[in-house]
Amino acid sequence: MAQFTIAVNGKKHAVTATPDTPLLYVLRNQLKLSGPRFGCGLGQCGACSVLSGKTEIRSCITPVAGVLDKEITTIEGLPALWAQKKGLPLTGASKRLHPVQQAWIDEQVPQCGYCQSGMMIMAVHLLERVQRPTEAQIRTAFSSEGPSPHLCRCGTYTAIIDAVQRASKSMA
Amino acid sequence: MTSIEEMTEQLTDSGITRKRFLQSGGVLAVGVALPAALGARSAKAVGPITSLDGTRIASWIEILSDSKIVVRTGRIEIGVGMTATYAQIVAEELDVPFESIRLIMGDTDRTPDGGYSAGLLPGGGGNLRKVAAYTRQALLDLASKKLSVPTSALTVTNGVVKASSGSVSYAELVKGQELQLTIPVAGNLTGFAGLTVTGSPPVKSPSEYKVIGKSYPRPDIVEKVQGKTAWVGDVHIPGLLHARIVRPKSLGSTLVKVDGFGGKKFPTAKVVQKGNLVAVVSPNEWEAIAGAQSLKVKWSDWSGLPGSENLPTALRALKYSPATTGRSKRGDTSAFATAAKKIETTYYQPYVKHAPIGPYIGVADVRSDGLVRVWSHSANPQALRKTIATMLGTPTDNVVVHWLDQSGQYGRTTWGGDGPEADAVILSKELGRPVRVQWTRQEDHGWSTQSPASLTDMKVGLDSGGNIVSFQMDHYMPTSYDVRPLGALLAGLPALAAIQSPTVSPTSSVSTVFGYDKVPNVLESAYGTDTLGADSPSKIGLRGNIMRTPWQRQQNFALESAINEAAAATGQDPIQFRLKHTTDKRLTELLNKTAQAAGWQTRPSPSPKAQASGSKALTGQGVSIMIRGNAYWVGIAEISVTPSTGAVKVTKFTIGADVGKIINPRGLKRIVEGGLVQGLSEALHEELQFDKSTVTSSDWKSYPILTMAETPKITVVTIDRDDVGFGGGGEPPNALATASVVAAFHDATGKPMRRLPLKPAYVKAALKA
Repeated sequence: MAQFTIAVNGKKHAVTATPDTPLLYVLRNQLKLSGPRFGCGLGQCGACSVLSGKTEIRSCITPVAGVLDKEITTIEGLPALWAQKKGLPLTGASKRLHPVQQAWIDEQVPQCGYCQSGMMIMAVHLLERVQRPTEAQIRTAFSSEGPSPHLCRCGTYTAIIDAVQRASKSMA
Repeated sequence: MTSIEEMTEQLTDSGITRKRFLQSGGVLAVGVALPAALGARSAKAVGPITSLDGTRIASWIEILSDSKIVVRTGRIEIGVGMTATYAQIVAEELDVPFESIRLIMGDTDRTPDGGYSAGLLPGGGGNLRKVAAYTRQALLDLASKKLSVPTSALTVTNGVVKASSGSVSYAELVKGQELQLTIPVAGNLTGFAGLTVTGSPPVKSPSEYKVIGKSYPRPDIVEKVQGKTAWVGDVHIPGLLHARIVRPKSLGSTLVKVDGFGGKKFPTAKVVQKGNLVAVVSPNEWEAIAGAQSLKVKWSDWSGLPGSENLPTALRALKYSPATTGRSKRGDTSAFATAAKKIETTYYQPYVKHAPIGPYIGVADVRSDGLVRVWSHSANPQALRKTIATMLGTPTDNVVVHWLDQSGQYGRTTWGGDGPEADAVILSKELGRPVRVQWTRQEDHGWSTQSPASLTDMKVGLDSGGNIVSFQMDHYMPTSYDVRPLGALLAGLPALAAIQSPTVSPTSSVSTVFGYDKVPNVLESAYGTDTLGADSPSKIGLRGNIMRTPWQRQQNFALESAINEAAAATGQDPIQFRLKHTTDKRLTELLNKTAQAAGWQTRPSPSPKAQASGSKALTGQGVSIMIRGNAYWVGIAEISVTPSTGAVKVTKFTIGADVGKIINPRGLKRIVEGGLVQGLSEALHEELQFDKSTVTSSDWKSYPILTMAETPKITVVTIDRDDVGFGGGGEPPNALATASVVAAFHDATGKPMRRLPLKPAYVKAALKA
């Protein structure tokens, strides 16, 4: 066991883990964050996705020792991330929503909802790079970028496309 | 539907939550006698009160002093929007705002009715509708006395009762009142269907609806997108141990010897063994995982499965028992012998998995005073309660199941279990501490139940005018009722299926609804057999379970494929062919409307351009229908096929739905789109792989499902009706895809496809046949 300091959702946290412990278990069990979830432990589905800086990573296959110099964001931290980007006051940011979260509500995207944290993280990753993605770009991003496609068993892909496009408009 | 905040309160409460909830929930509205009645029951239990009395109104509905309304149902949110539709049903009958409703779902100590969470009506929605209607009548009686006018002179708007003499809110009416209203119920709380509210209280007619028919958002989604929902995986109880199970070498193996960690050090990990159940536990989850991966265990060999590649032949060789015949049985199908044209085909479907994105999690706390608490996302928490009590040989009163969200279940937990709940209970009892078990991806694919493979023989006879004169279906399938809990099987504890549907045979069932009422001779039969490998030393094998649109999904694929082949063999357009065999107005209207929306080309199939070879992408159109649960469905697929590679892509899908009165239009659209994606995944990709010993589909590479890139443009067409009641909208969309896609394949290539999925190897074989 070793002590590490990791930066998650804008705060530094002291955690204790073996260096090979995947970030996912540290986020869930030590920081009690519910957003990132175990799907496969193999980097094949995207349920555990978090942002490392502005890039989507799979926390189930990323050792905690590998993110010590990174800013990690889970869906719990998306409102503050948006406030920071827009220069809004950080106080009370958690009471607001990131436009991606709002679009997920407006388009009624989740069914069971288990995979949707990773889907929203992927949406933020994409919208950081492409402000007005076409439907084809969205399909490619969620199916071919990163270690694997982002999988949804409830089949919410159409709703996700609608929500990413809605978010991109409201973020403009 | 439970927030992390609420769950934390629950965990820090030393007793059972419901007690606290009922006693501090503000003004108890209707039926303040409830706690006393429950108090009498608690004397014989281990201390806490572990169930509600379904005959008491306050078990179902409470109107608080601030006009908020608490509604309790044993049914749960399976992901298709019950959190909105149930609230809409209650709000409608009570004439209160949708936003005033707060739903309590699933917890066996906080909800009255139990039952499985599928089928909106007459299940949970039907119960709530009647309870709300009874409550409204009782409230109007109170208002009539208070305002000194007959109930016929009263109107209700937003929970306020009005008369010419004045007005009074529901909250004011019930303040300090004790209403002696008994809710008539029938059934068995911990049985498959739970309790059903009986009687016929006056309910609104659809023309009066103000809340039903509008697209209210699902209340659970707001919490879910913010990470504020408590999922089963988020239960952090003090003293909690994480466990991972070490699975046997095969689905029939038994334990020979546990050999230890092979020299590796896991300072906080401990091995637990009971019978063939072997687990590694630790307060540190990663150590439990790493320990389980390192643990050396010797198992006996077993190789009693046929292997998935041999399954079509092996299924034919099994011994079957007749199960049920379909409700459309009529005439005499021996007319087939003298038919002018005969179609005789067999359709094969492989085992497929529910395949939730999150492997299931169970948390259990078996306390020294005998109380057993289980956290689960079971779609039938009361049935799970009974299953756990049966396994432990303890009274059901000693078991409480708390429901929380978790990854989709698609029918897998309809009978109660089939997650790690039994594993967690056994380990918690052994260790005297709360235990959280999370299955790995490999376990969830390899050791959970699955939707059984099937063979269906079809015989369709036509006269010289291209009219069907005889239609016969014989459907063969291993059992889909094997709900023996895995943990109990491994540990050698009672694993009897505590819950079985009273309405269908224990092995299989005809579930099709034959919509072609002009066909004179019809016989549909189902034949069932045991779990493959249940005769192994471990008695486990490939346990079969129901999956979204059970039986009818498999049977309708064969039925509608045979209808398409009959149309093709007689040179008739497949939609016109269907229309001429039915007088059903709902079916006719939906077929026409969906065909128009799809831009259907009316012509015989296969296409005049069809060919079975070449490297050019060919296109085809195909249709299928389904009638289920007072709902009608039409699916029209457009696909492209490249014969040289065997690649099939679905380019467009138009789906028509007539579910009677639509409760939530946007919600319906979303679940139809989603269900369809699941069905397209089954059509194109899904086939459980196994060798003679064990399942070899172990992850998303060896069991691929549809991706966003492969999802076609989907158009949902609906018909909203006021005159036929409510129909089911959540199940059938996944079952429409397969027959439509296969028909489009036949249209494009001129070759029938009689096995699923349409993966390149099978496509190429079909094109060469």
